[in-house]
Amino acid sequence: MKNPLEVHGVGPYREGQGKGMKERRVSSPANYRFEDRFLFVVVPLFMLDAALGFFGFHYHHLQPVGALAIVCAVLQSLPIVACIVVFGLYLGEEKDEFQKGILVQSMLWSTGATLAVTTFWGSMEKYSQAPRMDVALVQFVFCIVYIVALAVNGWRYR
Amino acid sequence: MKNRLKVLRAERDWSQADLAVKLEVSRQSVNAIETGKFDPSLPLAFKLARLFGTTIEEIFTDEA
Repeated sequence: MKNPLEVHGVGPYREGQGKGMKERRVSSPANYRFEDRFLFVVVPLFMLDAALGFFGFHYHHLQPVGALAIVCAVLQSLPIVACIVVFGLYLGEEKDEFQKGILVQSMLWSTGATLAVTTFWGSMEKYSQAPRMDVALVQFVFCIVYIVALAVNGWRYR
Repeated sequence: MKNRLKVLRAERDWSQADLAVKLEVSRQSVNAIETGKFDPSLPLAFKLARLFGTTIEEIFTDEA
């Protein structure tokens, strides 16, 4: 007889019923919380960051000054702070060592790639007069590489 | 590290997802253990042994 917790999908690990997923999926509560936090906290902050960046690029004559500039800078740095906090919470809550390892590996790849890209571009700016890269874009590089790394790891261990 | 997880699972007609639910880990973890890409921790190895009613040595074989 099946464990009633498993049947109703409320056990520590449950299949992805009611989530609109075609594929059978087993995930942990920590993973569901991680996905929810990422979707409802980190993604909106990145959208706000992109909107501020877009506004600053197109309306550069309306650049904020003084305290407003500091507020804008803090708002633009919030997404990466939220991202790291969400990763930290997940690592603290997740009991599955393999899944933790995947996250750490993906973060390591994205950190390494971000450092490599920014160092390379910094040298290009210094020695080859390459166009200046907006430092605020670094967090986007980190996130893009992280998403790619996560997808590659997901494919490797599918 | 080699293991007999796939055989033991097949004997009970369990899918990787079934085993994952019983072990409270993800299906990817079960797949990674089965294919030898990931060695489980001692608590997880004991959990596997208890689940299959055997010993850790019966499931895992050290290649060294």
